[in-house]
Amino acid sequence: MTRIRSFARIAAAAVLVAALAVPSFAARGSADFTRFVAIGDSYGAGFEAGSLNQTHQPFGWPAIIARQVGLQICPPTASATDNCFAIPLISNPGLPGGELVFNGSTLVTVPGSGVPLMLGFGRPYNNLSVPGYTVGAVQALTGAEPTSGLGQVILRGLGTEVQQAIALHPTFIAIWIGGNDFLGAVSAGDPTKLTPPATFAAQYKAMLDALTAGAPNAGMVLGTLPANFATSPLTSRLPAVVFDQNFQPVIVGGNQIPLFYLPAGSNTPAPVPPGSIFLLSSLSRYQQGFGLPPNLKAVPPFSLLPHTGEPLTDAEIITPAEQKVFSDTITAYNATITSEASARQIPLADIKGLFDRLLQPQLFGGVGLTNTWISGGLFSNDGVHLTDIGYTLFANEYIKAINSGYGTQIPLASVAATFQNNGQFTGFGDNKGYAIVSPEAAEAMTSILNSASVPAPLPPRRRANH
Amino acid sequence: MRSSRKSWLLISAALLIVSGAAYGSGFALFEQGAKATAMGGAFAATADDPSAIFYNVAGIAQQRKAEFLVGGTAINFSNEFRGDPSDPLTSGTTGRYRAHTFIPPNAYFVLPVGSNLTFGVGVMTPYGLRTNWAEPWVGRFISRDANIKVLSVEPAVAWQTSDGRFALGVGAEYRRSHVVLNRNNAAFNPFNGQISDTANAYLNSDWDSAWGWNAGLLFKPSDAFRVGLAYRPGMTIDYKGSAHFTQIPTNTPLDVLVASQLPPDQGIATSINYPAVLSGGIATSAIGHGWDLEADVTHTTWSRFKSLDVSFATTTALNFTRAENWKDTYSYRIGANKKASENWDVRFGALYDQNPEPAEVVGPLLPDSDRIGVSFGVGYHHGPWVLDLTEFALHFKNRSTNVSSDNFNGSYKTDANLISINFGYRF
Repeated sequence: MTRIRSFARIAAAAVLVAALAVPSFAARGSADFTRFVAIGDSYGAGFEAGSLNQTHQPFGWPAIIARQVGLQICPPTASATDNCFAIPLISNPGLPGGELVFNGSTLVTVPGSGVPLMLGFGRPYNNLSVPGYTVGAVQALTGAEPTSGLGQVILRGLGTEVQQAIALHPTFIAIWIGGNDFLGAVSAGDPTKLTPPATFAAQYKAMLDALTAGAPNAGMVLGTLPANFATSPLTSRLPAVVFDQNFQPVIVGGNQIPLFYLPAGSNTPAPVPPGSIFLLSSLSRYQQGFGLPPNLKAVPPFSLLPHTGEPLTDAEIITPAEQKVFSDTITAYNATITSEASARQIPLADIKGLFDRLLQPQLFGGVGLTNTWISGGLFSNDGVHLTDIGYTLFANEYIKAINSGYGTQIPLASVAATFQNNGQFTGFGDNKGYAIVSPEAAEAMTSILNSASVPAPLPPRRRANH
Repeated sequence: MRSSRKSWLLISAALLIVSGAAYGSGFALFEQGAKATAMGGAFAATADDPSAIFYNVAGIAQQRKAEFLVGGTAINFSNEFRGDPSDPLTSGTTGRYRAHTFIPPNAYFVLPVGSNLTFGVGVMTPYGLRTNWAEPWVGRFISRDANIKVLSVEPAVAWQTSDGRFALGVGAEYRRSHVVLNRNNAAFNPFNGQISDTANAYLNSDWDSAWGWNAGLLFKPSDAFRVGLAYRPGMTIDYKGSAHFTQIPTNTPLDVLVASQLPPDQGIATSINYPAVLSGGIATSAIGHGWDLEADVTHTTWSRFKSLDVSFATTTALNFTRAENWKDTYSYRIGANKKASENWDVRFGALYDQNPEPAEVVGPLLPDSDRIGVSFGVGYHHGPWVLDLTEFALHFKNRSTNVSSDNFNGSYKTDANLISINFGYRF
């Protein structure tokens, strides 16, 4: 294990500092971004469509905040003493592999994998966010453990997220953590995988105790957790009834047909209860027939699928009772986060509210974005992580909270950064040029983008890496 | 694609919106003669050159010699847009107009008959302008370029009492107009994760027209005082034109989808309700020494411009109504003409012009604001010849919106400079 070198104090000059706090706003510390660190998970890392890569890492919410307060993102060649915001850049196509991309007819994974570009960087990265980490993990995993996942290249065995954050002598700490305390359970359809609320509360409190002890003068910002199953495509895209290629419920005799699943601890397949959620990650199994009730075995076109009549597993369905457990748990998590923020005078970003609002189209000067899978613009193709645009809106909630808590006037980040045509307009002319795509693919693409259906199987469900 | 359909609908959000940033509030142009312009447009009680056909048609009764007066106004304006740091689209962005000089012309001819009657005809541009943004422009999905041109022809007649103390005039106005709107459409591109420009919409109307009228009276209670009143009622012009859609390639497979959804070129229809304008002025030469002063108030019923409805001949899903809800406005003008010598007059003027536009509608199509103007001009006459030259600086108060109905918040700083010139020949 690499010996942790003592880190020189980073010079404070030449970095734009958003105005120092006026005590009357009562937020702890000050909004001094001289040494700005972030503790977080996949959202903070800029993980999109199943991959962490240098194209999208600059759109993790900490990096967006850094740009808005005037910090430069460190290039891979930066040295430890450079005044820049360091993120652990990974070359394209990224880790653990390439992104899930839409090729016109189906979702495929970009082949190959990338490599970390700054493993030797002489100090902790400013953005310590690690995909998949929970509140417990940010205090327990250093990157040396076999369960560290991408912590191996982000934490590098130098210490936990919390330890490395403190080692940087931060002047400002931004934190968004807790999503993975429930996401793993949600994506496994299994409430027993939830971090118990009491454990979450103890761990969240311990994390803040450590940070405030290690950086007593640092400004801070926290964020609530999303609690709306209707927002992310993972839990909202698929109906829990038999549906067609356009995700529309199939009506037989005036009724919808519930999917069939095998409840936990039972040997008897049963229809899923009304109001259940069918996880998007199981779409490809559905397309092979799993979940279609046995009485459809003789009914075309379902009769053509190899697994019609076989039930889905309990893990693929979130019943209303399970949803209630998840909701109550997230509510408890948010109660902890809110009370800790209040007690410690830390501004709180309303991420829960943001996710509720994302149910409505987001309108910007002639452009509309929605939470629709693949085509909507807010969620990336894995149905859970956001796009560059989505992360921009996420970061803006943090900026609003900082401005509100510290009396600063950090400008919001603009989604115009994601416009393809930001340069001088090259015009349009009569050139109707487009990429060569087969007629079948073109038809499939039209169908998909008009109704967000996927006519061909998704690649096999990969181990979730959030 | 749902968001694509929505953005096609948003395209029609202001398809034929009239451009503005003009000099008589909204998209009105009050600069129809260099002398009047030099006097801040306070001319209803003076109206003593053929441009009275615009300012107060009763005034042509004072012309006892036939006269041609022709000229125009060269208008340059600049606009600086700054995005609102609380707006997730415009924060950190800027924009400005392309440099352009507009030259609305004017031409008048008056012909007295007998000692009490005068006929006249005028060519004027009572409305117009253009908002044309330099690329790259973050507001291009609302408007890249919007242009309204108006040209009016007005035959007129005025009559005055034998002692010249009271005059009445009336005119018929044939108003022709043409509007253009150019904007891009954009959509989220699932192939590159960016927001891509996908098409351009170019809307272009025919020259469509309507007839209106105006009337005025001019009363001189004494040699030293004059009162003028001029009224031009509102009118509606119905436009027909065409929409031309051109795909913008993204060089991704999205282009196939865009091509299949691109609306065909097709006809469009819309209409604009022009306001009524009532001007009243009081003028006096009482202070003597060759000074003649006037003060005017103008009321413009911009509330007639409540909404803009655009319909498409083929793709009726693009039909749209955009709420405008403009307000009636007042403008206040003062002007002075000083006889400096036998051949030279010197003129000064100032004005304050309210803008009709509520904050919800301030945007790339028409970023209007209250305006303050100062003018200075000279008039030269020698024998039958007349030359009027005016410099007019118009400053718009900084106007910002954070309630934009286009979801496009920010501030606009507009300034305009106008140079008016008229040549006249009296027979």
